[in-house]
Order: sequence, then C-alpha cells, then structure tokens
Amino acid sequence: MKILITSAQSRLSRSLARSLGERHEIVLTDRGGGPEGFPSTRCDLGHDPSTHDLVAGVDGIVHAVESEGRPTEQFDHATRCTYNLLRAAVEESVPRFVYLNSLDVMNGHGEDCLVFEFWRPVPTTDPGVLAGHLGEYVCREFSRSEGITAVSLRLGPIVWNGDDGVPLTSALFEDDAIQAVELALTTELTGWHTFHIQSAVPDARYLTCVAERMLGYQSRRSG
Amino acid sequence: MNVLILGSGSSMGPHVVRALEEEYTLRLADVEVPSGGKHETCSVDLTNPDQVMAAAEGMDAIVNLTVVRNDRQLAFDVCARGCYHMMCAAVRHGIRRVINTGPHNMVQGPDYTRFDYDIDVDVPPHPGEMLYALSKAIGGETCRVFAENHDIHVIQFLFFGLANGDETWLDETVNIFPFLVAWSDAGQAFRCALRTDLSSLPSRFEVFSISAPFPHGQYRHGKATRLLGWEPVELFERCWRRRR
Repeated sequence: MKILITSAQSRLSRSLARSLGERHEIVLTDRGGGPEGFPSTRCDLGHDPSTHDLVAGVDGIVHAVESEGRPTEQFDHATRCTYNLLRAAVEESVPRFVYLNSLDVMNGHGEDCLVFEFWRPVPTTDPGVLAGHLGEYVCREFSRSEGITAVSLRLGPIVWNGDDGVPLTSALFEDDAIQAVELALTTELTGWHTFHIQSAVPDARYLTCVAERMLGYQSRRSG
Repeated sequence: MNVLILGSGSSMGPHVVRALEEEYTLRLADVEVPSGGKHETCSVDLTNPDQVMAAAEGMDAIVNLTVVRNDRQLAFDVCARGCYHMMCAAVRHGIRRVINTGPHNMVQGPDYTRFDYDIDVDVPPHPGEMLYALSKAIGGETCRVFAENHDIHVIQFLFFGLANGDETWLDETVNIFPFLVAWSDAGQAFRCALRTDLSSLPSRFEVFSISAPFPHGQYRHGKATRLLGWEPVELFERCWRRRR
C-alpha cells in the first residue's frame, strides 16, 4: 500500500513513517520540508497542481494537523489545507483518508462519564483543539458529499516508547497509535467514521469498543 | 453603543450602515479604507489578527459582513480564519455581541435542500463541500465554539436572495427564491439584533434565517420575528401570488 503522511516533521508522523514503512511504501510531506533521515516532499497543500501531484497514485492519506506554530497557522492548516488535500484526493480517486484528531475535543464531558463516539464533541477555543475539531468538520462534509471513505481517529495523548511516568486516563501508547492508524488504512470501510483510540490504561476514560468492533483494534499495552 | 462593521464595503454594507447610523456609533472597516461619510473608517485585512484586534478595541459589538466566494485561499482566509481572528478580538476586548453572516447553505446544504421541506435554521449544519458554503460554515462553527466557551453572544444571520422589491428580474425567476429579503429589510434585521436583550435568547449562539415569510414551506422562517422582533416590510407577493 502506498501511503502519504502529512506534517512530516511531527513526532507522530515520523513514528508512523518508521513503523508503517516496514510494510508499506511511505511518502512524507510537510509545509516546511521533511525531517532529516526520511525521504519527503515539501508541499504547501495549496490550491495548485503540486497537491494533486502529491496525492496521485497513493492508496491512502494520513493527515495529521500541525500542532506547532502560531494559532492562525494551525487554523489555516486544519481548514484550508485539509480542504485542498481532500479536494485533490477526491479528484485523484484516493480511496482512503485518515484524519488524526485528538480526544481533547471530548474532554469537556464530565470525567465521571464513559464517553464514546456518539457523544457530541465539545471543543474548547484552545488553538490546537479547535483546529483539530474544524479539520474533522471538513473531512466529514467531504465524505458526506463526495463519498470518499474518511476516518477520523481521535487519539489520546501519546506516551512515546521509552517514556516513564504514570499515564493519563486517556493515554495512548505509541504502538497502539500505530496499530490504530494502520487498521484505519487497511480495514474495509465505506463512508464516514470516527473512532476513539486510547490504550487500556487503568480507569480508562474513553470507550474504544467501536474501534474494537469495526477496526479490530486491541490495545496491547495497559501501562 | 460602538459597533464595528467588518466588510462595510460589501454589497450589504450600505444597507446596514443606513439602518444603524442614527442609533449607533459606527466604525467602518474593510480591506480597503471604505468611504464612511461621518463615520470612523479603517483598513482591516481579516487575515491579519493584529489589524482585527486593533479595529475591535473600544467596541461593544461586531457585525461581520465580509465575504469571498470563489478563491480558495481568500475564501478560507476571510470566511473561516477571519472569524477566528474576530472572535479572538471579541474575547480580548470583552465584546459580548457579535453578528455574523453567511449564506443559508452554510447550514442548510444540499443534503437538506434536495430532499426536504420545513427546513429549520436549527438543524445540524451540513454545508457540503462547496467552497463558499463550507468556508462560511467553518467560520460559523468557530463562532459557535467561542460562544460556547466564552461570555459572548453570536447572532448568526443566514441569507439567500437579496433584492429590491421592484427589480424586474424577480418576474423572470419566480419560484427560485423561497428565501429572499429586501436589502432595506436586511439592514433592519441588524438593528433588531443590536437592540435585542441578549438574556432573552435561548443560548449564546443562535441562528436566524433572514427572509420574507414565503408560503412555499421549504424553509421555516419566523424565528427572527419571534426572538428579535424583526418584521420584513417587502413580502414579494408578486413573485408567488396568482394574478387574477
């Protein structure tokens, strides 16, 4: 499978490229150029042929919204760039689009609640949370209108391999995140889907039963 | 009350200014310095957060009339990101009343209009992927999230057709606009929104269709009359009433 991963400079995108690259052909891209040690293509994700060139011939796109930079740039990347990428994906007949959002959009629900995907997102105006929410909104409307199969993975805060400390109740271990992204790319699906992804840590806050049932996701680490 | 009008050079700008200028102190803003007559004017590029922040200083309310429809970069910059900058400025300056505008299909997209009747303004927004509708919908959703998280009331106006009642093209396009308002009535809607007691509104984010009350039954109008006290004068009866 040929997979395009955006926001190549982010730690998650690099981790995905490293792991998924063992089984798939990976193309990395970033508005600011790729990270050292990875072959990548610089692309602004603008309304121009370079975005089409980037997505032509790929089997799936993993779009991670930039979490660095000024708020206004995060907003732009999550909205306009996601639009351009999806428009190009539709026109180039890319069959799968995986959007990486955060479970932070659900944090406004009470901590005493078992929150799953049917609950309404309650984003704050924190730039990263709002940008993630609006990018998901763009994906949903594209999937609804254009029929592209699109998946939003709302990921818990990632605990990187080798990190110490007590994980949060919504924590997602790096290996579980990689598993979820690969399943979102390869599982037979149609239409629009949102999945909550976290690891099976003690007192887990978010239910992942929909991801377990539809993607076959199984958290392999609990702490 | 001091009111900042963003996009005062738009088609709707003069009608809004005319409706408000007797009661309010206006600051007219657009990307090129608008002609303001007796009103204060300033140049504001909505993509520049510092300019938006400066323009909002000292204001009690913001009216956003800005629009770019066809250019992807500008549409997102103005319709979506511009709302983000506007709402950040409202938070910073303690502005509690914002009136945002957009097309009806930023809420009532083709998923509704191709299939349904009795389409309410309070349906879940489904703009589809059309650039204008979606970029405005992103702006509207941004306003909604800010209103949900801060002590700011956003009154979201939806428009479709705008015309003067005596325009001849109305005779040729009968039935295509069951969502139509006269320019002068549109201006009055802003006046009503500025006068409304915010505590009387059901929530801090309320959506209103600004249209004459057509009998077609495709859209449900009337919320602006019920909650804002807005009464359109031009009813466009010649567009739909049979002549005998």
